[in-house]
Amino acid sequence: MKNYRWLIAVLVLATMLIGLFTGCGAKEEQTPVTESPEVSTQAPTGSDKSEGGSDLPSGNVTIWYYWETEGHQKALNTLIQRFNDSQDRITVQAKYVPFADMKKQLSIGASAGELPDLVILDNPDHAAFAAMGIFADITDEFDVSTYYPGPINSCTLDGRLYGVPFGSNCLLLFYNVDMLEAAGQKVPTTWDELLEVAKALTTDKVYGFAHCALQNEEGTFNFLPYIWSTGATSYEINSEGGIKALNMMKKLVDSGVFPKEAINWTQGDTMHQFISGNLAMMINGTWQVPTMRETVPDLNWNVAPIPQDKQQASGLGGENYAVIAGGNEKAAIEFLKFATEKDNCLFMMQSMGYIAPNSTIAEGQFTGDPIYEAFVEEMNYAMARGPLPEWPDISDAISLAFNEVITGAATPEDAAAKAQATIDEILGK
Amino acid sequence: MTKIRKGFFRYDNVGMLFVLPAFIYMISFVGYPIIYNFILSLQNVTVKNLRTGQHEFVTFKNYIDLFTHDDVLVRSIVNTLVFTVACLIFQFLIGFALALFFNREFWLSRPVRGLMMIPWMIPITISGLIFKFMFSNDVGIINFFLKTLGIVKDNIEWLTNPKTAMPAVIMTNIWIGIPFNMILLAAGLTTIPSELYESASIDGASKVQRLFRITLPLLRPTIESVLILGFIYTFKVYDLVYVMTTGGPVNATQLLSTYSYKLSFDMFKYSQGAAVANILFIVLFLVSLLYLRFIDTEIET
Amino acid sequence: MSAKIMASRRKDIIYSVIAVLLLLIMLFPLYWIFVTSLKLEKEIFRNPPTFWPTQLNLKSYMVQLEIGDFNMFRSFGNSLIISGGAMIISIILAVPASYGVARFNFKGKKPIVLGFLITQMLPVSVLLTPLFIIFKNMNLYNTFWSTIIADSTIGIPFSILILKNYFASIPKELEEAAYIDGLNRFTAFIRMLIPIAKQGVVVCGVFSFLYAWGDLAYGMTFIIDQRRRPITAGIFNFLGQYGTKWSYLSAFAVVTIIPVALIFIFMQKYIISGMTSGAVKG
Repeated sequence: MKNYRWLIAVLVLATMLIGLFTGCGAKEEQTPVTESPEVSTQAPTGSDKSEGGSDLPSGNVTIWYYWETEGHQKALNTLIQRFNDSQDRITVQAKYVPFADMKKQLSIGASAGELPDLVILDNPDHAAFAAMGIFADITDEFDVSTYYPGPINSCTLDGRLYGVPFGSNCLLLFYNVDMLEAAGQKVPTTWDELLEVAKALTTDKVYGFAHCALQNEEGTFNFLPYIWSTGATSYEINSEGGIKALNMMKKLVDSGVFPKEAINWTQGDTMHQFISGNLAMMINGTWQVPTMRETVPDLNWNVAPIPQDKQQASGLGGENYAVIAGGNEKAAIEFLKFATEKDNCLFMMQSMGYIAPNSTIAEGQFTGDPIYEAFVEEMNYAMARGPLPEWPDISDAISLAFNEVITGAATPEDAAAKAQATIDEILGK
Repeated sequence: MTKIRKGFFRYDNVGMLFVLPAFIYMISFVGYPIIYNFILSLQNVTVKNLRTGQHEFVTFKNYIDLFTHDDVLVRSIVNTLVFTVACLIFQFLIGFALALFFNREFWLSRPVRGLMMIPWMIPITISGLIFKFMFSNDVGIINFFLKTLGIVKDNIEWLTNPKTAMPAVIMTNIWIGIPFNMILLAAGLTTIPSELYESASIDGASKVQRLFRITLPLLRPTIESVLILGFIYTFKVYDLVYVMTTGGPVNATQLLSTYSYKLSFDMFKYSQGAAVANILFIVLFLVSLLYLRFIDTEIET
Repeated sequence: MSAKIMASRRKDIIYSVIAVLLLLIMLFPLYWIFVTSLKLEKEIFRNPPTFWPTQLNLKSYMVQLEIGDFNMFRSFGNSLIISGGAMIISIILAVPASYGVARFNFKGKKPIVLGFLITQMLPVSVLLTPLFIIFKNMNLYNTFWSTIIADSTIGIPFSILILKNYFASIPKELEEAAYIDGLNRFTAFIRMLIPIAKQGVVVCGVFSFLYAWGDLAYGMTFIIDQRRRPITAGIFNFLGQYGTKWSYLSAFAVVTIIPVALIFIFMQKYIISGMTSGAVKG
């Protein structure tokens, strides 16, 4: 046992050694937020605000974003190019971080004080990062009075604005017109009809209906409209409505119209199943429209409101811009002002198939395109997730509940009770 | 063998000079994370105070919460043990059998053994993808084979059923691990002098006797290393499960490593994530102590 | 005599047939992913499955070449640099260390071995943040070095534990002879023992290389620049982009596997002959 004392000695020695070159890193945990500007000037993009003695912002601005679709990436790069060409003080560059990696990268960056100057992130995560203190308060920089309330809510924490909505989207029922006609079915509007039509459409090669049911935020996004449609809120899963929603899920799976494999499908996967003809109906979002039109121009499909229980409901999705506190804030804000101008915003929305978050821009954005008009109309029924710093936690409880029901691991009642216990604890009830 | 004269080893501590560079390097880069993680697990770092610095010391509250709050942690521990033990046993047995087989000199022994290594060289993320595809319910080739051979009647819902997801993931990891065991054991086999076998067969020892009396005892250091390394690497497998099931369905394949990742980076419960990782750390630490006792007896003999 | 040769030849054939059968089972998943990459999306989902594409489709491969931002060849080069670097560091540090552990009974040997084992015990997820902080403070963030160092910490302990058995199996008489020839411990180690344990060194090199090659988390976290990311990071891009579009995914998998397989097939003669010739025996 004497030997182990020796080991401890080495460990202590090594720790001291590490302390030499990680000293500031270890301390940084305890560093108050106010000191973080010093830290982030070490960023490779090295912004220098006082350069040239003028008050105009200058330097480099790095943006992190997660769109993997090539068209989206091109659109963003075009926007950035336009901005860089429009003036010569600020240079903006975008870095792609895969969606699955974005939260992790931001978390680690926040711990280490190594972040970009601007991020474009998924709106349900906004509150958590705002609460972390990594986003700058830009309440006095932007007039958002004409924006839709849902997207603006997702950027707001304790009455302050910590970001600007980039663009919005929502969910609708997509259906394969030819398959519906061949089966002699009408577009379902209620849950009962959905079950019936899905049964009629299911063959040995085709599933009647599906949506992404992953056990994560993406799955929760697709499942929540069931709960909302019953009149319950996201935080009331163990209610009459919540249990009814889970029961509906169970019925869909048990009757064999809804593939269990959807618990492993992303929204992109679901769309691929739909355009490959393996799926007759699906719930999916606005952003899939350009891809679908491009890859399968001949497929005869249409959209309709998600079949409802008591009321029409849909999920509000989309991204927000957020300025990193202590980054090159002024320059980032200048870029944001440029990006939210009508023409530039419209350009991004059109190339990505998003709906503008600013109602004055969204009006007339899609005139003459019935599919997009249906989405704009549905925006009135689209509900936001959160905003709540602990939303990821709530979302996890909800997605576990419907996954338990889909796989048959628990009854709707038990799953709901368990999820509710977690949610109540988080909300401090 | 003549015994080395004691005098040569009077300055045994010279050996330390060979070892120190590697040791310092490792402790420098991994020592800090270990300490960092330990401290983090005793604090209450969440989204709200990650950057404010008000990190309260809560001693073992995170650990207690994890055990009492819900059953995911206990499930993850059980899953991790099942996963590790099942993988180790099958990887080792199959790998050993293959090593013995290919250690014989025959026409194709060398090229085929070389090709057998390929599964181990593929990035794990890719292997996970391949098996995720083969384990699909309706179009998966594994279900097709099982049905064609009449072993099952209906498709098995491999990765979407909580009961079968774990076996599917285990099978995949066994496939990846067989070459690892095979090549290390095969390399170990070559260090056994063939004269020993020759004299044993002259003495009339059967094949089984030779295996248990010569091969296994002489291969012991290699076997120990293979098993301990296999245990450490399998116990913290992460990418494979992440790609195939992300811990699902319904936590059926949630391991300590995936759960720790999920807590830290999906749910922003940094301290709880660190606590889960520390539990993993402690289990491995105990196993290593056991391993060192083996080494001890080795030195004595 | 001729009967004996006949018998051994028959043995040769039987064993070879068994070996090939085993190989077919082991490598079937790779064949399957390869065939899938040549099929049309529709055929992939056909039931019963086809074991060779009825209609050859190379489009999935063409797509890989057209992807703009992510350059497969460059990221392959990046992976080579990272894995090669990690391999070299591992060998330089691990070979002497394993010799020290195998041959000397110095004070504190056991805790040191335990120390090497301990460094392997944290799961990747919790190593990321502290390592990130270290690399940031060393100004290595977003460079190859960060990932090389992180990857080498996997290879070193592994190599030490494997190599120590090689050194332990070298007869001490050889060393003794070296000392009589006037070599000291260090020169004996470099001139005699390393060449003898060459096969072990090669095996460790290969394993260290492959650990680094398969790493995803470190490369993704410590390198943010798309142009410097290793090839495994590309998998993440493709997963996000194509979901379960298996024709594309399988083509990507094949493209990732081929170079690895080539490296190995090229190296394997060296590895396998080193292993089976048994330099130690003589």
